[in-house]
Amino acid sequence: MSEASRREVRAGLEACLARLWRYAVVLSRTRDAADDLVQATCLRAIERADQFVPGTRLDRWLFSILRSIWLNEIRARKIREGGGLVDAEEALTSDGAKAVETNILAAEVFRLIGRLPEAQRETVLLVYGEGFSYAEAASALGIPVGTVMSRLAAARSALAKLK
Amino acid sequence: MNGDDAELVALIDSELDGDAKGRMLARLAGDEELRKRYEALRDAGAPIAGSLEALLRQAPVSRLRAGLPPEVASRAVRWPFSGVALRDLAAGFVLGLLAAGAMAWAAINLAPREESENYENWRSAVAEYTDLYTKETFSSQHPDPSLAEKELADVGERVGAHLTPESVALPDLRFTVAFMLAYDGSPLGAIAYVDKDGAPVMFCIIANGASDAPVRTERRSDLSVGWWSRGGRSHLVIGRMTEEHAAELARTLESRV
Repeated sequence: MSEASRREVRAGLEACLARLWRYAVVLSRTRDAADDLVQATCLRAIERADQFVPGTRLDRWLFSILRSIWLNEIRARKIREGGGLVDAEEALTSDGAKAVETNILAAEVFRLIGRLPEAQRETVLLVYGEGFSYAEAASALGIPVGTVMSRLAAARSALAKLK
Repeated sequence: MNGDDAELVALIDSELDGDAKGRMLARLAGDEELRKRYEALRDAGAPIAGSLEALLRQAPVSRLRAGLPPEVASRAVRWPFSGVALRDLAAGFVLGLLAAGAMAWAAINLAPREESENYENWRSAVAEYTDLYTKETFSSQHPDPSLAEKELADVGERVGAHLTPESVALPDLRFTVAFMLAYDGSPLGAIAYVDKDGAPVMFCIIANGASDAPVRTERRSDLSVGWWSRGGRSHLVIGRMTEEHAAELARTLESRV
């Protein structure tokens, strides 16, 4: 299985790059960090390709790696180094919104999304961007379905106030 | 956030089940304030997916691809078999291709036929797998100019030919992807085009040591093939077209490659 695993991981990585980057932007809210995060994810995936089960969802396996690196390494390092996390008010207004500035409505909505707390942003991305069901999002994030529901409700509620 | 928001949002997202859904719908029917809240939450979330989609389109894929480790980057050409169902593919060598997934550089051995000269047999093998390509196989491929240039340069290097977007450009055909195969131990470069309707046309080069030969044509099923040999390489153009058209494309490429 390991050779099949390695082959499937290597073969499928490129097709997932854009979606990994979007996930990374939503988490980190900066393009530089997103690039680093995607690159680290790809390297880790190749190192651990033996752990991938052929025939299962490669994209979701990669997402879990990206999330783990973000939570345990990059975000932690930023905090340790005193850089902190981007203030919620700054949100994705700089890098993220710039990325979608060709679409004014999309940029505005994205600016609003960027003001949400990280947990809400991530849940919004998985459900509304990646099409996860509530149960799938709950599994990916390690939280109860009820928490997914409350995060999405809080996100929509906040967007309704900000608009 | 109001107390009913979670259930309202779940209803909007079609995630509210059975009894809970029934209860909420009944309450909505008789509660105008609740209906307004439902509409506010629905409207607030409506543009989210579009916004995230816009962000996805902005992903710097070329830069990210360049950051992949070499052993992956060299295989990172998008594989054109999407849309072809495995069950529809009976030929063993094609299954071999699919098993190789997106690894366009994988050295895939197309099973040689019983004829003795591989520079004759390879046309049969290429025709066999070209016959399996559909309008959907390549038409979604839109490589940017730098990727097209790199793919062609890489394929050219493997088969000992100088390939550029200009040298392989063909009238009324759009370049989609270039990738490597192998036949009977010889590297086989494949360049795929589509016509205005998405129908695939292949230009293949194999470094097989063949003697020089002028352009000739033949029909294989509903495919026309134009082929020639020069400089120790055999070339062919194949697609669903007339033999005259295949000959014309072959002569165009013969003069440039």
